[in-house]
Amino acid sequence: MSPLSRRQFLHSSAATMALALMGLTGKAESATGKKYPSVKIGNIRELKAGEPVQFTYPDSSSPCTMVMLNNEAIGGIGPVRNVVAFSSLCPHMGCPVSYRNGRFVCGCHYSMFDAAKNGQTYQGLASQWLAQVTLRIDNPSGNIYAEGIEGLVYGRIGNLNIS
Amino acid sequence: MSLFTRKEKLPIPPKDAKQYTTVCQYCSAGCGYNVYVWPVGKDGSAKSNAFGLDLSTQSSMLSGHSYSETMHNVITRKNGIRYNLAIVPAKESRINKGDYSIRGGTNAIAAWSDSGYTKKRLKNPLLRKGDAFAAISWTDAVEIIATLIKSSIDKYGADSIAMKFYDHGSSGVGFEDNWAAGKLFLSGIKTTHLSIHNRPAYNSEVWGSRERGMHELNYDVDDARLADTVLLWGANTYEAATILYTEHIMPNLQGGSVDEKKKEFDSGEPGAEGCLIVVDPRKNASVTVAEAIAKERVLHIRPNLGTDWILANAIARIAWENGWHDKSFLEKRTDLKTFEEYKTKSLQLSRKLNDVLTEAEKITGVSRKEMEQAAEWIAKPKTGGFRRRTLTIYEKGIIWNMKNYDQVASVVQLNVLTGNVGRPGTGCGRQGGHQEGYVRPPAPAPGSIYAGGPPINVDKYLTGGGGKIYWVGATDPYLSTPNNQYFRKVLKKRSATLLDHIDEGGVPSDPKVLIARVLDAFDKTDGLFMIVQDIYMTQTANDAMLILPAAAWGEAAETSINCHSRLLRIYDKFMDAPGQALPDWKILSMVGMKLRELYTAADNLEMADRFRDMDWKTDEEVFLAGSRTFGDNRLPETEEAKLSAECYTGVTHQILRKLGNTGIQTPVRVDPASGKLVGTKRRYKYSFATNDGLFKWYGTDPWSGYPAEIAKYVNNPNYPFWFTTGRSQLVWQTMYHDRYLPEKYFALPLPYIEINPADATALGIRSGDMVEVFNEEGTSVALVCINDACRPGLVFGIMYHAKGSMNHLTSAYTDPKTTMPWYKGTKVGIRPYRGTPDEAIRTASLLPNNDFS
Repeated sequence: MSPLSRRQFLHSSAATMALALMGLTGKAESATGKKYPSVKIGNIRELKAGEPVQFTYPDSSSPCTMVMLNNEAIGGIGPVRNVVAFSSLCPHMGCPVSYRNGRFVCGCHYSMFDAAKNGQTYQGLASQWLAQVTLRIDNPSGNIYAEGIEGLVYGRIGNLNIS
Repeated sequence: MSLFTRKEKLPIPPKDAKQYTTVCQYCSAGCGYNVYVWPVGKDGSAKSNAFGLDLSTQSSMLSGHSYSETMHNVITRKNGIRYNLAIVPAKESRINKGDYSIRGGTNAIAAWSDSGYTKKRLKNPLLRKGDAFAAISWTDAVEIIATLIKSSIDKYGADSIAMKFYDHGSSGVGFEDNWAAGKLFLSGIKTTHLSIHNRPAYNSEVWGSRERGMHELNYDVDDARLADTVLLWGANTYEAATILYTEHIMPNLQGGSVDEKKKEFDSGEPGAEGCLIVVDPRKNASVTVAEAIAKERVLHIRPNLGTDWILANAIARIAWENGWHDKSFLEKRTDLKTFEEYKTKSLQLSRKLNDVLTEAEKITGVSRKEMEQAAEWIAKPKTGGFRRRTLTIYEKGIIWNMKNYDQVASVVQLNVLTGNVGRPGTGCGRQGGHQEGYVRPPAPAPGSIYAGGPPINVDKYLTGGGGKIYWVGATDPYLSTPNNQYFRKVLKKRSATLLDHIDEGGVPSDPKVLIARVLDAFDKTDGLFMIVQDIYMTQTANDAMLILPAAAWGEAAETSINCHSRLLRIYDKFMDAPGQALPDWKILSMVGMKLRELYTAADNLEMADRFRDMDWKTDEEVFLAGSRTFGDNRLPETEEAKLSAECYTGVTHQILRKLGNTGIQTPVRVDPASGKLVGTKRRYKYSFATNDGLFKWYGTDPWSGYPAEIAKYVNNPNYPFWFTTGRSQLVWQTMYHDRYLPEKYFALPLPYIEINPADATALGIRSGDMVEVFNEEGTSVALVCINDACRPGLVFGIMYHAKGSMNHLTSAYTDPKTTMPWYKGTKVGIRPYRGTPDEAIRTASLLPNNDFS
């Protein structure tokens, strides 16, 4: 990646960058051990279709995005199985992906991932699909918990092997 | 939950892991990769590993180090031991700088694994026994092939042997296999019924350039960053040569290479953010990604199918009219005698500008304003009178167009007229599909109709009942050849005829008995003995009598060059081929040696002599044997045009191992002053590849409508849509690996078409429906994806897919000058598919792949 295309990127995607820098340049706060933690990340009653919610999982250096889609999705939870969550780091080279219109788009090389179809790369460079966060909904409270990740978070040798 | 099992951690290569360098097996970009092999259970640690990185912390964005789920596999070697295999993009490669595409990123999971995705690799020679195949020994397979070839040559002549083989590099073949195939078929068997893997004849795809004195690989990857304007003509770089786009063209558009321009350009010459022109009937991702970056510096021109040469000539005329052509270059470097013909026929200087452009607008559907804008961006001198630097990259949209020869020549000549050759930031060449690796004895048809051709159409020869043996190597013509439905129907019938004749109470397993029956079938029927040599079972192999298992990428040491820098590197052997599979060169060598033995035994020493020098022991011996065909390469830089584009004389595998990801650029010279091997960065700075060193012009044909094969559809209401084909970003070629990789088959489970929303509404179809696309040539079933890439009235289809081919629809037309098909243009009708929709549909994304907003 040439340095200037990176600058261009920084210029054009300042908002999403802030999120990534939090995860990528900050030192991970704690090792999380070998088991995925169960972390409450929101409540279904607070979600609005098409409006993404940011969180970190399984630790603070792994930014993730939860979104309620319009229709049923692979791995979706909730009454219409339309709530999904993914790592916000492009599995290609670690740039932040942003959610728009049913998919995640990477601002560096323009990979696009279908949020309803398991985070599959349907365009672009990422040979690995986006890592999908396993969600559980608690009824009747509607609380949503992140409880695992399927797929490797960018830049890690293991999702839970970061010091 | 997930559609397939995902990985959440990866094994770490230890410091003492075996390390190799290689180059991606897929597209023309030729990205560098590093390979690590170590026994299962002997992992390194986060702090001590072969990557030399601290893996206990998370890599930063764009660090250039990638090791993802698709970059690891577990393999078993012939010693029975299981090894981890990691294949990661090379940060130190100047081609990819650590970047990688969706295809190259899967190099590791595509490697043969006896328990993994690719376990279905061919492992033994297989002989057809009725409806099934039985494993046989190499000894028997070689005896059957060599005896049948000898008997067939002796009785029916060498042209009774037809072949269809690669002529390229990468994809598990290289200079080594090309030399071996050339020795066997061109100087041994000497059949003239040869065809190249993706087309019906043995021809260059770009004789329109070569016969001007310009080989199609003449620029360097740096030129894509240095150009003032990059012109992509019928080349969807973002999806087909991805890293050329993201690492070289995209930074140029973003302004990331302005500093480099200032260093390379003349003193005082302006160098700013680049412009991009894309000539393509589709608004594909190469257009829309660029528009997302700098819409004001992107020009997208959408000619009617088949009309590009009229457009290129019109743009050239505008440049001429404005005085933007390079007068000094024309006078010093080009042949002014042939230039007269170009002026008359291509520039049409005897006609008024307005008349020429009005006619061009009508034929091409492109407005005069767009033509003028293109001419300006290609050729209008910059402030201070400095010549613009334009790099033109063309590919199958030009090559597989109607009138192949004239299309290629017109684009090349536009480039030469404007002096865009031999300087940094210029050049005019192919994008390429594969990488290259051609080294062969002379071909039977040396050139187009103007230079000793055209070559024979082998498809038509076979469908017309010609030939006794058809040997197909590393290609799947049942998907890839034009007018496919007819081709397949005839070959299936001819194969069945042969099988029926020899199967009297079973197919004999004794080679001698089998051979006698096949020869009897040759005598009494039009039966065809088909041999398929490949790494997997293919659609074509289903009708073969004999299947030969070949080694794949990484299972033999091979060499190739990429297309955007002619960068020669070693693709080292890092694992063993499955079962009895052998490198292609070895299989061809065994058959050649057996033929020599049979002819010697028959006391026919003249024929025996044709098969000599095929007893190579190692990969490198074949490589070195091939180099002798290039001749003396001790020349000064000023005479590089005299060398073959792929000349590597003096280079050895050992030298290439030392050079690793750096490689050396062909043509390689021995510098007369230093005696050292030196590469060639860009070509034709001093002269062109003609006897007098001058570029030879060609006057193109005028527009004369569509050929009969297509004209029959024009104005026929049954076939209202123009139809073109192309590639998908996600998969490579026939998906020979991708059909087994879940990341690919879930995402792209079926052949698909792209159709404009207006046409879809009129037809009453939605994304996710299945339709039949049909014309008088055949029918293809496809998944519908609605997007605005095509204008109303034009439909795009993926050229072929593991589950079907759009070449059922392409006609048998070929350019009479070159025998090159027009794969990318016909007309079709569309109707709903009445079968039950394929289950696979539910996993495929249907989102528009050209919308990045």
